Amino acid sequence: MSEPSPAVDEPTVLESFQQNGFSRRTFLKFCAATASLLALPAAEAAVLAENLATKPRPTVIYLSFQECTGCLESLTRSFSPTLEHLIFNVVSLAYNDTLQAAAGESAEAAREDAMRKAWGKYVLVVDGAIPRPLDGAYCVVGGKSALASLQHVAEGAAAVIAVGTCAAFGGLPLANPNPTGAVAVQDLVRDKPVINLSGCPPIPEIITGSVVYLLSFGVPELDEHRRPKVFFGNTIHDRCYRRPFYDKGLFATSFDDEGARNGWCLYELGCKGPTTYNSCATMKWNGGTSFPIESGHGCLGCSEPGFWDRGDFYHPLSTGRWGSGMGEKLAVAAVAGAVLGGAAAVAGRQRQKARNDASTQHPDHPEAK
Amino acid sequence: MDLLTFARGPALQWALVIFVVGTIWRLIGILLLPRKPDFNEPRSTHPWRGALGLIVRRTVPKREFAGPTAFGNTIGYVFHFGLAIVVFGFVPHILFIRSLTGLHWPGLPSGVIYVVGALTLAALVAALVRRLSHPVLRLLSNADDYLSWLVTAAPVLTGLMAAAHWGGPYPRLLAIHVLSVCVLLAWLPFGKLMHVFLVFVARGTTGALFARKGAST
Amino acid sequence: MNTTTVKAGEGSVARGVPMPDVRQDKQGDLAPQERLDIAMRNFVRDFGAVAATYLESCIHCGNCAEACQYYVQTGDPRYTPIWKIEPFKQAYKREMSPFAPIIRALGLKRRVTVEELEEWQELIFDSCTMCGRCTMICPMAIDIASLVGLARHGMHKAGLVPHELFAAAERGEREGSPLGATPKVFKERVDWISDEEEVEVHMDLPQADVLVTISSIEIQKYPQSIAALAKVLNHMGLSWTFRSQGYEATNFGLLSGNADWQRHMSMKLIDAAIACKASLVLLPECGHAYTAMRWQGATMYGKPLPFKVRHISEFLAEHIADGSIRVRKGLNKSVTFHDPCQVVRRGGAIEGPRIVLEALGAEIREMRENRGMNWCCGGGGGVISIHRADALRYKAFQIKMRQVEDTGAEMLVTSCSNCRLSFDDSQAHFHWDKTAHSLLEAVAENLDTPPARAAAGPDGARAP
Repeated sequence: MSEPSPAVDEPTVLESFQQNGFSRRTFLKFCAATASLLALPAAEAAVLAENLATKPRPTVIYLSFQECTGCLESLTRSFSPTLEHLIFNVVSLAYNDTLQAAAGESAEAAREDAMRKAWGKYVLVVDGAIPRPLDGAYCVVGGKSALASLQHVAEGAAAVIAVGTCAAFGGLPLANPNPTGAVAVQDLVRDKPVINLSGCPPIPEIITGSVVYLLSFGVPELDEHRRPKVFFGNTIHDRCYRRPFYDKGLFATSFDDEGARNGWCLYELGCKGPTTYNSCATMKWNGGTSFPIESGHGCLGCSEPGFWDRGDFYHPLSTGRWGSGMGEKLAVAAVAGAVLGGAAAVAGRQRQKARNDASTQHPDHPEAK
Repeated sequence: MDLLTFARGPALQWALVIFVVGTIWRLIGILLLPRKPDFNEPRSTHPWRGALGLIVRRTVPKREFAGPTAFGNTIGYVFHFGLAIVVFGFVPHILFIRSLTGLHWPGLPSGVIYVVGALTLAALVAALVRRLSHPVLRLLSNADDYLSWLVTAAPVLTGLMAAAHWGGPYPRLLAIHVLSVCVLLAWLPFGKLMHVFLVFVARGTTGALFARKGAST
Repeated sequence: MNTTTVKAGEGSVARGVPMPDVRQDKQGDLAPQERLDIAMRNFVRDFGAVAATYLESCIHCGNCAEACQYYVQTGDPRYTPIWKIEPFKQAYKREMSPFAPIIRALGLKRRVTVEELEEWQELIFDSCTMCGRCTMICPMAIDIASLVGLARHGMHKAGLVPHELFAAAERGEREGSPLGATPKVFKERVDWISDEEEVEVHMDLPQADVLVTISSIEIQKYPQSIAALAKVLNHMGLSWTFRSQGYEATNFGLLSGNADWQRHMSMKLIDAAIACKASLVLLPECGHAYTAMRWQGATMYGKPLPFKVRHISEFLAEHIADGSIRVRKGLNKSVTFHDPCQVVRRGGAIEGPRIVLEALGAEIREMRENRGMNWCCGGGGGVISIHRADALRYKAFQIKMRQVEDTGAEMLVTSCSNCRLSFDDSQAHFHWDKTAHSLLEAVAENLDTPPARAAAGPDGARAP
């Protein structure tokens, strides 16, 4: 797709920085930080700055459905680029029911107005899953179902960013038994580019970085779950600072043993790092302070589809999920095997006996001659 | 249910059930066939010693046969020991066994496992090439031989692929690896792979019968 | 019994392997299907857990080929020991294996055809001496020779046995000896040899501690053995006898695969031993006689035998060791011993010949492969009687020649007259300068006279 275009009257990102009292130098630092976040090569970094200097700020509409606002909480803790830079300088945030000053009818009217002005060009950010049954009756905002809102707003969007595992994969609302029939954004929006930024919550810089990338270059390269490869290209395990201990075969076997104190690998404690694609181990959280494994807990795999339903946060990844009653099942299997084996042996003996009888009675026996 | 959850859950459960049913079925079906009493005066009255002795001793090939069987036996040793090291030495595998039996022991560094796994796979490939090219093996081989080779080599290959993240996202590779193990477990009792159990029965039988006669083993 | 001989089509191919142009023998005029049914029926007749274990355990590693003289000398993969019972393996899988119902229902193993059995005649009889060397190499320790024995049961009842072997077995069943050594002939030979050698040979004593048996090969070809036996036993002062109703130690019922005949033949010896209240049955220098009586005699009898059974080599060693046989160190040369498969590898009487040779003052030079690992002479299992197998047998014998030559020993000794027959025949064929001598005769020639008084060994040799 072509990158989202701004509303006609919007200033460029650089102009926006300058209008808000920031120097060009600050803008360039912002660009450099973002480029490094996105791991762009030097040439691409220059293009990023060039694009942001010349392109008007895009309109962004941020809709929240079945969610806990944790993703937005995460976003507010983005260090570089900061949320402030993002919403005041980089994008024109036309609607977010938590951040916006407006409320009620006027908020809805502002959104309609922004949509009309930037029809076909704005970016839609969705946070939370969407219940489908009963015309979406399980999640209604301002008298309008999440289902209808999404379909309505997505219609004029240039691209949709699903923020958080709920929006990206259905997350907790979709978890068994999924009482509201929740689905992910990508299950409903079929005709627009959907970018999934999964995580519970997603790393804030992944959200801000992806928006900037989208603005500058368009839709980034995505993995099979439609996540930007730049952030979701490696597993936690592959980038984990505890990986050398895994390779040496050194594991913590409880949360307070010698291994845990020594910072050994948490695989045995159920860490899902090996199957989880995310940047926690490199970008970390809270401005690079730490990430769950660093604070001593295994990865839960929150950025992967269906992570909650796997329900084995504390079982090593390589173990079978035997469920309850596996011992009984195997006992039954053993008895069944013994019965079948016994029957086979009896049948064999009988065939042998039948043949013996026949062989002694056979009239044309060569011996008989 | 995603593929990995299916593989680690229902697939493994069913594979194990089939494994148990098939193994016991076959063993009982053989062992309950008639056994003639032997009234001949025994030379040795310690058949059990003979059985255990041969089970252990036959693991080492005889010097007299070293020449012509060296290549085949070396391949066999490499992949049998390789499989044992990979299955019983890799910590994730030990954890799998622990989840099933409660037994566990210290593991080996994963680098060692990767090297051994690669050697094992190479030996398995060599074994297949030998089977396809050696006149005796070509004559003896049937579908079971090739199928059993496939289900043995598949977990080694898929395990290495998963470790190398080669061929797709890791959860899918891991799921395929686990599924290949399921296939191995489910096939094991029905083909020649049953020798993992029958080797004890067969060697033990000959060991006991021959010890009774004092015959050479 | 009418027999027919069919030549296999030239260059016919079975399972991708060219079949050599061999004669196939048939007895009786059964319809093919009948023949097949009978073969399979009798194959499974004596089938049990042991045979099933073996047939289930093969991993098709092909190692057994390297233990078999026929494969090693020809490179023909059909001579791979386990392949020799392939049709019977298929039949087992269909008939009696634990998954047999499934295999039949799904048609996973096709039925064996009578043509295949005919083709396999050569593999089951001509190219297997049931020497059991393959068991030594098998990683599963499968006793393939015993399976060939079961296969022979099926082949015999189906009338698919090589002529000469069938004829020998049939004659043995009918006349009491496969080589025409009828009681009358036997008595004549005994009279003649006792005159010739001036040795007293007991015949048909009503009661004796030791029933001595003899193989018809010895009666007809090596009558010196009779004299040697008598000399040794007289030297020991034992109470012993031959019995004209039970002297023939060979058992062509066993070799040709007729379990009923095998029982008849064994029962003659058992009845004779019981009749003269013997406490020991002494088996002659014959390999399969040892298997038949020592390890299958009680099986034929259906209960423990009321006497002990010993091979002459065990007997000699035991009584040289206990001093009841006194010998001179008269064998002052280097000697190599050919281990008869059925006595040594499969029979367990392994060290006796060494003890005897040592006592005779021989310098023993073992072959590279000796004792349980020894190469078969190629003539056992009835193979020597099958003429069409001669060329193959000579090929196999070349291993034996190399083995013997490599020892550099001046003298070759064995304790099996069937091996001797095989050596003699091959010696003539190759114009070889080595002759296989009898261990028993070597002892008889070196007895230290005057004979010991009626002392006896600790076991069956002593009067009960």
